[in-house]
Amino acid sequence: MEVVSQGHELFNKSCTACHGRDGTQGDRAPALGAARRYFRLSEAAIFDAIKNGIPGSAMPASGLSDDEVWRIVAYIRNIRSTASDNDVPGNVQNGMEIYLGKGKCASCHMIRGQGGLLGPDLSSVGAQLSLTQIRDALTKPSPPQEGYVPVQVTTRSGEVIKGVAKNEDAFSIDVLDTNGKLHLFTKAEIQNVVHNPESFMPHDVDKTLTPSEFQDLLAMLSRQARTKVHREQQGENEVGR
Amino acid sequence: MLRPVAFIVLSAATLPAQIGEKQLRQPLGENWYEYNGTYDSRRHSELKQITTANVGSLVPSWIFHIPNASRLQSVPIVANGVMYVTQENEIYALDARTGRQIWDYHRVPAYQRAPNRGVAIWGDKVYFTTTDNYLIALNAVSGNVIWESKFAEYKDGYCSPAAPLIVKGKVIVGVAFGDRGLNGILSALDATTGESLWTFHAIPKPGEPGNETWSGDSWKAAGGDTWLTGSYDPELNLLYWPIGNPSPDFNGDVRKGDNLYSDSVVALDLDTGKMKWYFQFTPHDTMDWDSVEIPMLIDAVYGGKPRKLLAHTDRNGFYYLLDRETGKFLHGSPIVKKLNWASGLTPEGRPIRIPGMEPSLKGTKICPNSSGATNWISPAYNPDTGYIYFVAMEGCGIASKNMESFRPGGFQYRATGDVPAPDEKSRVIVRAIDMRTGELKWEQERAAAHNFGGGLLSTAGGVVFSADFEGQFTAMDAKTGKILLHFNTGQRLNSGPMTYGLNGRQYVGLTAGSDVIGFSLFEKQ
Repeated sequence: MEVVSQGHELFNKSCTACHGRDGTQGDRAPALGAARRYFRLSEAAIFDAIKNGIPGSAMPASGLSDDEVWRIVAYIRNIRSTASDNDVPGNVQNGMEIYLGKGKCASCHMIRGQGGLLGPDLSSVGAQLSLTQIRDALTKPSPPQEGYVPVQVTTRSGEVIKGVAKNEDAFSIDVLDTNGKLHLFTKAEIQNVVHNPESFMPHDVDKTLTPSEFQDLLAMLSRQARTKVHREQQGENEVGR
Repeated sequence: MLRPVAFIVLSAATLPAQIGEKQLRQPLGENWYEYNGTYDSRRHSELKQITTANVGSLVPSWIFHIPNASRLQSVPIVANGVMYVTQENEIYALDARTGRQIWDYHRVPAYQRAPNRGVAIWGDKVYFTTTDNYLIALNAVSGNVIWESKFAEYKDGYCSPAAPLIVKGKVIVGVAFGDRGLNGILSALDATTGESLWTFHAIPKPGEPGNETWSGDSWKAAGGDTWLTGSYDPELNLLYWPIGNPSPDFNGDVRKGDNLYSDSVVALDLDTGKMKWYFQFTPHDTMDWDSVEIPMLIDAVYGGKPRKLLAHTDRNGFYYLLDRETGKFLHGSPIVKKLNWASGLTPEGRPIRIPGMEPSLKGTKICPNSSGATNWISPAYNPDTGYIYFVAMEGCGIASKNMESFRPGGFQYRATGDVPAPDEKSRVIVRAIDMRTGELKWEQERAAAHNFGGGLLSTAGGVVFSADFEGQFTAMDAKTGKILLHFNTGQRLNSGPMTYGLNGRQYVGLTAGSDVIGFSLFEKQ
């Protein structure tokens, strides 16, 4: 971590004019540690941008030594780190018990084949989200993700189906109901759709669990990193000179 | 408003519709459950809303684009109104009426490039294989990964492009590439757990029958891969799996002998993986003539009595009819006019080779060329006409050999190849032959196409659908070959059409280049 702190220092000496202090907000250039999608993901790609600049953009060659550039690379990788990159304290085994039991997470979420279908699979959540994002998902209200929007559909025959919309357009809607059954409708086959603006995801998990239980759950979730996330791979090959 | 508590209570109450033996053994109708439709791999559907009279008004109902796709080889599967279509390391689940995406799955990292030809379905899960040889089981309605199980080593050079076949809870998976000296295996994995149940080795080891057909140590880097989906007979409980070419492809000097079980079809007991019989189409192949072309299982009167038949059009230029209980050869006849390496077949079905017709240091003109008289694109059989439909290529190659040696790690081991004969422009032709006699009934050229393109589909409406490399999706009269419809998809076609029915409407599904298209009869909105 010494390398990271040295990189942090170098970053705040050399890069803040455009990328902002600590790389968390940029005025004239991208915030390098924000939740946006980045094209330069690998160490080599980030090194290349700092060392040589990005032709056709305002990003100049830094003029720093290779050693200094690598320290900045380490820092940028650190601020973009996902939860699984951190050694989140807590009892992982107990976290899994809470996930399956008191927390009721497994009613909707699956980890490695165990659990429900209505919410996103969490088998790799530690590699997909930062620790802050995981904590926010458990404690703050947020709009539902695409594919997980809660809906209530009333069919022409009056049947009411509750679940999440896997997709919807002007002419069709596909709903995975709360029993795990898939319904494929054209809009002509239904009377109406009611959308729930709030996700099914509870946002008071830090209150329904004790502080130590909550920490154990965070520790367990942060270690779920089965595969690298697809999103991280996109654009990887678009970089280079 | 829905509350989390409400649905937590409900969530585990019922299961989605399960796909089992009963569904998979039905004739092809509303669903299309397997790569070749049914266990008998005839690619013939009982649906007949689309007929020779109305197929001219077939139009696309929807198009789905697969990002980053180019030459899709996937045959879509349809079950319970959901279509599953793949490209390498990716699955897309679509609403089969609208083409709208329900879920997708992407596996990274992907270690090597290879096509993927589709999923299989069993219980509440869909299954497919990755380029790094994992069998992945996913929940069919949500796409959640339930388990993954590795069955071959990508670092050795293996990959797995074929759609699995699932019978009685056993997922049958195979491997490529036979052009790298990698010996073929066929593995059965438990559909519930992913546990390996048995493995068949396509190249016999020392001490096993057949090993004597390989000179010296040549059996060690011998090919014989299993890169396409086979067939299954529920009554005999036998799998029929087609096996690929021997390695090195073009130089047979280093592997004298018949080279079993390369270029064969093997009949394996489903429960044990033990071989009951084999039939080798091209003993000691030196032209890369994989015999992976789909074995079609047909029950019909032959020679005056009802028989269980296996029909196969081979890359080597011949059509074969076998008794699938015993493997006995019943009939063989040429499927192309340009055939100069064998003068015919013996009463046992062995090719009668013409001396000197093999790759040489200087080059030898051999017909068919190494692409073959036909290839992996699927044929079809219509029981009403009694015709087998397949895609033929009339072409010759100048074939040469060299002394390339085997290198472990998945490197090419072909010992050279062939180039198109300058005086013989190759032509691609859809042909209909009589199932019993092999007699040519009609043919329809895929004009200007020099590549096989995609396969064929037969329906009870009397239509044969065809997917042409130049992008033309066509419908032909099953009796005469007359073209009844042509539609330019605008992309190269490399896969076979399939058909399904939903809410009283028949659809034809096709992967076209980077798109999936659902066709149906025009209906005013």
